[in-house]
Amino acid sequence: MTKISKIWLVGAAIAALATLNAQQGGRAAALPVKPVPAPTSPVSGNAASGKALYYKYGCYACHGYNGETGARPFVGRWGHLATEQDFVTFLRGRANVAPVVPSTSMPNFSAASLPDKDAKDLYAYIRTFKSSAPESKDLSTLNAIVDAAKREKN
Amino acid sequence: MAKSPKTSVGRRGFLKGAATGAAALVTTPIVEAQRRPNEAPTPAGSAPGPTDSQLARDAGNVRPPATVRAITRPGSDLMVQTVKDLGIEYAAANPGSSFEGLQESFINYGNPPNRMPEWITALHEESAVTMAHGYAKAEGKPMLAVLHGTIGIQHAAMSIYQAYYDRVPVLMIAGNDPDFIPAHTAHDMAGMVRSYTKWDAEPKTVEEALVALQRAYNEAITPPMAPTLVVINSEIQKENVPNLQVPAYKPPQFSTIDSTHAREIAKSLLAAQNPRIAVGRLRTPEGVNRAVELAELVGACTSTTATTGPMSFPQRHLLCGPGADTTYDYSLGLETPAAQVYIQGPNLAKVAATRDTENIGFAGLNGGGFGGNRAGRGRASAGTLLEADAEASLPLIIDQVKQQITSDQKSRVQERAAKHARANHDAHVTALEQAIEVKKAGWNGSPICTARIYAELWPLIMNEDWCLASPSNFSGGHNVQLWEHNKPYSYLGGQGAGGMGYGAPASVGAALAAKARNRIVVNVQTDGDLNYAPGVLWTAVHHKLPMLSVMHNNRAWHQEYMFIEYMAGVRGRGANRAEIGSTLRDPFIDYAKMAAGYGMASEGPISDPTKLSAALKRGVASAKRGEPYMIDVITQPR
Repeated sequence: MTKISKIWLVGAAIAALATLNAQQGGRAAALPVKPVPAPTSPVSGNAASGKALYYKYGCYACHGYNGETGARPFVGRWGHLATEQDFVTFLRGRANVAPVVPSTSMPNFSAASLPDKDAKDLYAYIRTFKSSAPESKDLSTLNAIVDAAKREKN
Repeated sequence: MAKSPKTSVGRRGFLKGAATGAAALVTTPIVEAQRRPNEAPTPAGSAPGPTDSQLARDAGNVRPPATVRAITRPGSDLMVQTVKDLGIEYAAANPGSSFEGLQESFINYGNPPNRMPEWITALHEESAVTMAHGYAKAEGKPMLAVLHGTIGIQHAAMSIYQAYYDRVPVLMIAGNDPDFIPAHTAHDMAGMVRSYTKWDAEPKTVEEALVALQRAYNEAITPPMAPTLVVINSEIQKENVPNLQVPAYKPPQFSTIDSTHAREIAKSLLAAQNPRIAVGRLRTPEGVNRAVELAELVGACTSTTATTGPMSFPQRHLLCGPGADTTYDYSLGLETPAAQVYIQGPNLAKVAATRDTENIGFAGLNGGGFGGNRAGRGRASAGTLLEADAEASLPLIIDQVKQQITSDQKSRVQERAAKHARANHDAHVTALEQAIEVKKAGWNGSPICTARIYAELWPLIMNEDWCLASPSNFSGGHNVQLWEHNKPYSYLGGQGAGGMGYGAPASVGAALAAKARNRIVVNVQTDGDLNYAPGVLWTAVHHKLPMLSVMHNNRAWHQEYMFIEYMAGVRGRGANRAEIGSTLRDPFIDYAKMAAGYGMASEGPISDPTKLSAALKRGVASAKRGEPYMIDVITQPR
């Protein structure tokens, strides 16, 4: 139990952000992002192979097992995933643009570490992801929380 | 110091005899009586072999011979009385021979015995101290951790360090038995942890020990709060002190602002059209009450740190929030620098300057990146610092406000407070509506999203008296947006120094506080963290603690996993081996079985989100009965 590490730094950063939000009034702002429709561009890879790669390369670590959760969910935020080529370019371009200190914590994936075929298989799997979030009106648990807050007396 | 004579020989006595030769032991009548009539005397200069009776006793097969009670009032009884008088509720310890006298007093002295404090069985010294850490954050006062000499202190060292960084008062006693096992003693036992404790002492007499315990308590609860340690020699624990009394206890003096500043602050709060009070982490629940009183007296909207840690302003108090008008013409900070004028106690850097004589230089004690509300001063502030304890200063300001306030000002305060209340309520509902649009992401996915754990838990506990004792940052911090933190102990915050192995023992400590107060404790337990010292689950069962543990089981030290992936990517070597050394697979750990092994009711693993709510209901019901419960939930990584 001697781990004073980056875990702490990340935790502290999160805590600091939460503190900052809380200082504004005791609750952190959590602004929803309007979902972007899933791309409809062609897919050439093999989704089954891509699933294995998604796990092997630990993509779920930051994007969740379903692309919906974690540090960088992408279901509904398809920015760099609009097309297969966009995706591959994104992976490769990062290595070329910022080889040592990338602008975000997304790892670099050079062709040497993730061949084009694998990247396309990954993309095929990612494209199978869909939102599992129900319509807000159907979420009785969450709506009950809001209703309870509304009922509180002024 | 007079040494008490040995009156019996147990396992320890036997070991001592074997190590040091016959002379020291065979002189006592008891040992003489135990020698077999036909046993040959031990040759001079060689260690004696064990007798049959000694071996039998060592194996626990023979009751000790009845003896005339020579000790009528052991020093350790008075030490326990001193701790009782300080209002200590619990003493947690893993057994150690260096405090056998003390432990015997804790469990047998008093009427009824073993109450206030109650002896809590810990399976690891680290757990004992972290229990005290969690307890103190929940109650705003220390409990006791008792440590074995040298080895127990070293087991506890990490948790002491963590409590230190978290500015948490923990009272510790360590036994020292210089005549027993050399490896378990030291010339300066407290030296091992001196650089991250606030005060220590090694008294030479019983009387000195009693004074030292009182001083250690006072030092621990006086800002900057921190762990303190009294090393007590095993012989003075056993010394007979028939005529000694516990000295009168003198509570500590807390530094306050002076009356001039109190008058000026009150005047400014009352003169302001829209005052603001920023509330950080106060010392005790009483401080929170005083902060509420002041805010209500002057109609100031407030900020709080209740969503990041204990002892701050109630999150859903009508005055808590940005208020009707965010242009504030006067702001007062209480243990936070985010204000025009702020009252803040001394930080740990001042303690470290005198304690860290080896210049280890633990980083961040001046707020250099480790969070202003913990050890150091925090973010730079343009405000004016009044270095004093905010909690102790509040009554002075309140008195001044009461003296100065006019009837016109009272009317204005009421009007302003009503406006703030409406605005804060609306802001809260809006924030919640926005939050659920984010929290619903992955709602029906499997493994289960962490937001759903918090969302499903909240309706089950919102009408209970609850405490979230585990850090929530690694599990998404969803309580921050979805729950309402209105009690000083609603959320106990982070680990203090980012050390793992904190969640479960801190929750057990909080549950000790909760047990007598009809409160339940929620522990959203990360899997890597639990595996440091899971034996604390047994402690929760053994002492019937109202604690629900919900595993955030992502089967990895997940943050490290992501860091390794990143590093592999930076170096162009691919991330496909990042799981080596950072995941908990092959085999998966079955936490429901682990809990069951410690006697805890449990279920899981659950990966189907539709089964979560029913499991949580069972868990909350069990915790309310004082039967700790574990639900193993297979989760999304974050």
